[in-house]
Amino acid sequence: MLSSINNRISQVHLTSNVKQTIVAMLGVTFGISMYIFMTGFMTGVNDTQADLAFSALAHVRIYNDGPADNSNIAQKLYPKDLINVRNAKVIKYTDGIKNSTAILATLGKQKDITGFTSQVNINVFFKNAGNKVNGLVSGIDVVSEDKVFGSAKHMIEGNWKELKYRSDGIFVGVELAKTLGLKMDDNVNILTSDGISRNYKVIGIFRTDVYSVDKTKAYIAINAARQLLGANQDYVTDIQIDMVDYNNTQPLIDNIKSIIPYKVESWQMGNQQLVAGSSLRDTIARAVSLTILLVAGFGIYNIMNMTINQKIREIAILKAMGFSGGDVTKIFLTQAIIIGILGGCVGMVLGYIISRLVNNVKFEIAGMHHLPMTYYPHNYLLAFMFGLITTFVAGYLPAHKASKIDPVSILRG
Amino acid sequence: MSDIILKADNIVKYFYEPEKFQVLKGISFEVKRGEFLALVGKSGCGKSTLMYVLSTMDTDYEGTLSIKDTVLTKKSQNQLATFRNENIGFVFQFHYLLPEFSALENVMIPALKLKKYSKAEVEERAYKNLEMLGLKDQALKNTNKLSGGQQQRVAIARALINDPAIIMGDEPTGNLDTANTQIVFDIFRELAKERQQTIIAVTHDDDFAKNCDRIIEMKDGQII
Repeated sequence: MLSSINNRISQVHLTSNVKQTIVAMLGVTFGISMYIFMTGFMTGVNDTQADLAFSALAHVRIYNDGPADNSNIAQKLYPKDLINVRNAKVIKYTDGIKNSTAILATLGKQKDITGFTSQVNINVFFKNAGNKVNGLVSGIDVVSEDKVFGSAKHMIEGNWKELKYRSDGIFVGVELAKTLGLKMDDNVNILTSDGISRNYKVIGIFRTDVYSVDKTKAYIAINAARQLLGANQDYVTDIQIDMVDYNNTQPLIDNIKSIIPYKVESWQMGNQQLVAGSSLRDTIARAVSLTILLVAGFGIYNIMNMTINQKIREIAILKAMGFSGGDVTKIFLTQAIIIGILGGCVGMVLGYIISRLVNNVKFEIAGMHHLPMTYYPHNYLLAFMFGLITTFVAGYLPAHKASKIDPVSILRG
Repeated sequence: MSDIILKADNIVKYFYEPEKFQVLKGISFEVKRGEFLALVGKSGCGKSTLMYVLSTMDTDYEGTLSIKDTVLTKKSQNQLATFRNENIGFVFQFHYLLPEFSALENVMIPALKLKKYSKAEVEERAYKNLEMLGLKDQALKNTNKLSGGQQQRVAIARALINDPAIIMGDEPTGNLDTANTQIVFDIFRELAKERQQTIIAVTHDDDFAKNCDRIIEMKDGQII
């Protein structure tokens, strides 16, 4: 059917006024390239944000949240009476996670988990001579910690694996080292809230580019941390879990919540601001690019309307000669769709070029070097599809109008 | 097939704008195959309106119209379009050619729509028609490069391409000088005689009408 007379007429209309065709096409091209650029940039920003966030944050965390507040039990029994208990205390009977081996075994059987690691986290004071800074010492399993957080790549001095063999060794954050005036092989003293003090030797310095982490955190081996607390081999404070898809944590939580007697928390619950930020950026990107496509659609609508008004006599004579309303619709819709396809293809290329250019712009904050960008094929396909739908609708309305033209009123003049 | 090619029976038509007005007041007549017929009358007498009813393009009328023994009243627009394509050729006061196409392509368009012949055959027939009208050497020119008389002859070649039973003309010579009017008239004359094609032409031109087989004169929506 490619050589049918309807298509031949469409083709002549498109090629006889090339300038107008190109203007209509550029509208689509611009809309689609902007859509591709905006979504590429926004998903790039979101991915970078996630990378930064997940260098210090696991997808799911299990910890001991402390007991519920049951200090006024009597009030629950007699809800109508007013009962006052003075100086009530919430008593924490357990500290940390006691039966970690059993929990880790349970986690090992779950699907969609890419890795998990146990930590013993202790709030401490770091002391180096007169300097005193409070912060967090994290007792870690060297291998699984790196698997979940990719911590080894953050080391700027020292060797990540060495911590495994040095129960007196400590890695400190680069900002913390600066504050305390620590260098490699210096000693640092740690004081826990229970008043236990111990010396460690700095055998590594790391930088995560998350300032608050670099300023307050240090790593020691997990057994060294247990020793510091006087806890047994099964004692951990946190179990951190990484999943295949960090946006889909709920099924796992539903699965294990009932069998694990501790708080199971997804990163979304603990970091609402990150979730809000990324979904707001997505919304903005979509709104802006759809607006651009809509404007492009109006451009096509205008040009098609103009064409049809110019060619109203030709349309009338075509109908007199026996072309049906459907034929007329086809002739003009074909033009719109060809404009859409051509504009869409050029738009995808242009979108890619713009993305590449922006991707090369220098941006050196928080460990980034260039502006972030993604090149997901599904975004390109989606943009092309949106472009095609826009041109289809923008072309159909005038084409339908053309098909309704009454030849008698035009030809009688 | 009977000798009657077109039959109009009690055609009544109203205009509704600016106010209700009866344009055609019960018109009945028959046209024979191969007849060269002129519709004449003063401006506003309804002759053009009648022609557009006969052409099947105007469907808003009462009464019955049949062409080639087919009743066309109450048929759908698409059925009528197909019928026009095959059986009716049009020549208007203005040529209404498609300006972006060559003369040859303009002539070919109705036949390509009909799809009775292959493209090569259609092209051959279009050349033959143009040759008959003395336009063979202009075939590949764009129609906006042709003179007024040539354009009107291309429009006639286009009207003839599907060998329609009836050719309808709305002031077909209204825009032409005397010489070209004579040429167009001779072509019509010959078509009616040689090819037995029926011609119905609305005209103001008394000389043109005088030489036709039959004149139907109208006044105030009636045949007199």
